[in-house]
Amino acid sequence: MNEATNIPRFTRGAWAAGEIVTRIGGGGVGGKAAGLWRLKSELLGELDPAGFTGLQVTVPRMVVLGTDVFDAFMELNGLRELALSGASEARVGQAFLRATLPPEHLGDLRDFIAQVDSPLAVRSSSLLEDDLAHPFAGVYATKMIPNNQPDTDSRFRALDGAIRFVFAATYFKAARDYFAGTGHDHGREKMAVILQEVVGDRHADRFYPRVSGVARSFNYYPSGAASPTDGVVSLALGLGRQIVDGGLCWTYSPAYPAAPPPFRDVGDRLRSTQTSFWSIHMGPPPPPDPLRETEYLMEADLATAEQDGQLDHLVSTYDVGADRLRMGCAGRGPRVLDFAPVLVGETLPLNSLMRSLFPLAERTAGCPVELEFALDEDPRLPGGHRLCLLQMRPMAIPDDSTRVAPVELSGAGVVVAADRALGNGAREGLADLVYLKPDAFDAAATPAIAMEVERFNRELLQAGRPYVLLGFGRWGSSDPWLGVPVDWGQISGARVIVETSIPGMNPDPSQGAHFFHNLIGLGVHYLTASTVGGKVDWDWLAAQAAAGETAHVRHLRLDEPLTARVDGLAGLGVLERSGVLERNGDSERNGS
Amino acid sequence: MSTSKGYNPFTIAQAEFDRVAGRIELDEGARQLLRNPLREYHFQIPVRMDDGSVKVFRGYRVQHNDARGPCKGGIRFHPQETADTVRALSMWMTWKCAVADVPLGGGKGGIICDPHDLSPREQEGLCRGWVRQVSRNVGPVQDVPAPDVMTSPQHMLWMMDEYEVLHGGHFPGMITGKPVGMGGSRGRTQATGYGVVYTLREALRELDLDPADTTASVQGFGNVSQYAIELYHRLGGKTLCVSCWDQRDQASYAYFKAEGIDLQELRDITDSFGGIDKVRAAELGYEILDGDAWLDREVDILLPCALENQLTAESVQRISQQVKVVAEGANGPTTPEADAVLQERDIFVIPDFLANAGGVTCSYFEQVQSNQNFFWEEGDVLSRLDLKMTAAFHDVHDVAQRRRVPMRDAAYMVAIGKVAAACRDRGWV
Repeated sequence: MNEATNIPRFTRGAWAAGEIVTRIGGGGVGGKAAGLWRLKSELLGELDPAGFTGLQVTVPRMVVLGTDVFDAFMELNGLRELALSGASEARVGQAFLRATLPPEHLGDLRDFIAQVDSPLAVRSSSLLEDDLAHPFAGVYATKMIPNNQPDTDSRFRALDGAIRFVFAATYFKAARDYFAGTGHDHGREKMAVILQEVVGDRHADRFYPRVSGVARSFNYYPSGAASPTDGVVSLALGLGRQIVDGGLCWTYSPAYPAAPPPFRDVGDRLRSTQTSFWSIHMGPPPPPDPLRETEYLMEADLATAEQDGQLDHLVSTYDVGADRLRMGCAGRGPRVLDFAPVLVGETLPLNSLMRSLFPLAERTAGCPVELEFALDEDPRLPGGHRLCLLQMRPMAIPDDSTRVAPVELSGAGVVVAADRALGNGAREGLADLVYLKPDAFDAAATPAIAMEVERFNRELLQAGRPYVLLGFGRWGSSDPWLGVPVDWGQISGARVIVETSIPGMNPDPSQGAHFFHNLIGLGVHYLTASTVGGKVDWDWLAAQAAAGETAHVRHLRLDEPLTARVDGLAGLGVLERSGVLERNGDSERNGS
Repeated sequence: MSTSKGYNPFTIAQAEFDRVAGRIELDEGARQLLRNPLREYHFQIPVRMDDGSVKVFRGYRVQHNDARGPCKGGIRFHPQETADTVRALSMWMTWKCAVADVPLGGGKGGIICDPHDLSPREQEGLCRGWVRQVSRNVGPVQDVPAPDVMTSPQHMLWMMDEYEVLHGGHFPGMITGKPVGMGGSRGRTQATGYGVVYTLREALRELDLDPADTTASVQGFGNVSQYAIELYHRLGGKTLCVSCWDQRDQASYAYFKAEGIDLQELRDITDSFGGIDKVRAAELGYEILDGDAWLDREVDILLPCALENQLTAESVQRISQQVKVVAEGANGPTTPEADAVLQERDIFVIPDFLANAGGVTCSYFEQVQSNQNFFWEEGDVLSRLDLKMTAAFHDVHDVAQRRRVPMRDAAYMVAIGKVAAACRDRGWV
């Protein structure tokens, strides 16, 4: 379906007239915009509002710039050669910031911004993402702009700059690494841009939604009684960046919204739930930094949100005397962002909405989906709240199955036994393994470790050698105390990623939405070897000769390649020596 | 503007004004005020020539009306300049500024001279001499000159410099058309041509035509034409023919390609005056036709962007039945007789002082930037220009629809109505 032809053309004054989705320019609209158009045109019509009293479900108003605008921009400014030359991010960025948008669209953009004076999200919407049915989440950029200046000129300039930044990010390092890792032709990429109203309210200098969420209709990490098809929902206070960047958030199964989370005690819960949130800075403009995605964003703590009156539906309060949590934010005590009033007290029908949305969204998309949403108060609405669906993208689900029996986790030749595993199927011939040395590991040194890992990743990527990456804590965590804070580009050549724990670094498995999409989309196996049911054969690793070594990282090049097998349904996986497998034959694999 | 014997542009301008004033039932006081300039300055400019002699030139500045803001209009260097030509042009500037809805009035100036016969030093003396005569009567809040026939950004800089010497300060807003970096505005080069196409785009929308399904033929290949073609092509349109003057042959030619011209290809073989290299064009596969062949092409759109009086009672008969729109990039390309024929054939005419108002609109932007000493990005300029031109088109089109009058009459009605209202509001009439 050519979504671009279905989306009505932007006409001047359309925004003020209330048109929800319009487009400027022709060409494609990219995967993200196509998903939003399907949400608006198909899914919302099927949702019965009677079931969710107090919550109006909608999509935010938006204008999509078609890929023709991108093409015209690149051609007009002669940027293609530089963009694909491998020049530094700063040089590419500066060239794009000096360029001009095509004159035939400037009038429409100015008319648009003259009508809008509330925050906007300027989002990329990749054409290749749509064509290849590959999730590109986290590869490109979204720029949030406050758009609250009283004069149209200032707002226009900020919008113009944000669009050019999003265009430029098509060729930034993360994108280049991604294309190098996938073997796709970067030159084929075209970018549509979504100019989307940000859901939320202003509180002093901050603008943010009360709740952001990411809901996946298929759960790669089901726990307890939950099954993969129950899906999984992650919630956070403030902008959704908290979730998609892998920050601390509240993740639960919609089938069991009140199930106790996997925390050891209240202290653990206090430490492991969200303590800060993202918002758009609406105050005096910060120092200009047009090439920074977070130029207009700011972080604040929970006390600030409480002053803003935003914690009512979201927290429990720790009663120190009773050493227990009480739902709500009455009384003194630390607040814990566990969304108990909504999920347990059902002050809003959020969870029942999620459960209704999953089958509709899967039917609309034809496969399991990931939905991003934001929830906010809107006193003008009968129920006082609105939930805006911000994105819908298809999830890539493994389609063939490779069974791994529990007994195999302790089999001979197993280098890593994973009691939780993401992915499905076997990957053979893994001769390179990069791992963090347990005796040299220091949680305070994770930013430096990220750089060391990047070096090995670059070398192996250039050599065209897929590798196994093994380390402690959450890969890609935005919090360096919870894991190694790599971005996807720094580990993009890894085809099997293992996370395990070590004293002082024992967080929950990675929950970053961007990572999940990239892992599954690229067929990367993600193994979690917990201290309870998993294992890593450190002795065997230490006995192998190093092909390269830094302060914290070792690189092995093995004569006898490894094989990774993951059972997507059982959630188990192993990394084993191929030679041992061949010698033992199928009898060991089948546990007979 | 032609100055041939018997043709008095001021008489024509007054006749047009009288006709529309009657239609909108303008009161007698306003008619008396608006059919003549408010102020005129006629003066002598002595210039010491390179050979040591002194030559005295005749200069003018006419301020037709400043009820809506400081006067705005060019300075012409022309050997056949007359006071009536300057008067007529100043009146048309009043209407153009009003129809574009920029807060400026109309003015015009000139010097009777042929700059081809003057050295750069002598031209500088002429510019400085002109400013010395009117320096108390022009300036950022009174009357803002600009380049026009045979005057250039360099002339504007000399004039600005003289003005600043006389007034003891920096006043970049006293004149427009300056080079970028010396008080000029980005986007000025494209402004007139783009402005023509912004109005053309809106006309096509009204006619429910997609630019990508249309073809055009263009008279002229100077600045206005080139940028009009550029933007028209960006909207998807195809230009089949352009005509231009050939300096060597002292004749004009039309360059035709059935599959559409390649703008960049032609630019590459064009001199700085807009003259296309005939031999190289032929090598590139262009059919070389007589200069007036541009107007009988089988196209949807005609863009006369070169000279006045090109669509006459005779030539208009040659226009193809396919033509649906005429967008007048040039000043006065259509005679009243031809206009009547276009109207009869139901061809949509975008009148000159609306279609080519992009230039004065950008001059206004330049003046605003100069006064603030803060200069905008090109995107700022062009996006504002688009909105201004689009709004101006629809203001006129609305009147044309409501009053059931041709676009030209509607444009005059809008313009004269605005200026008359300003005069009334000020208590002048």
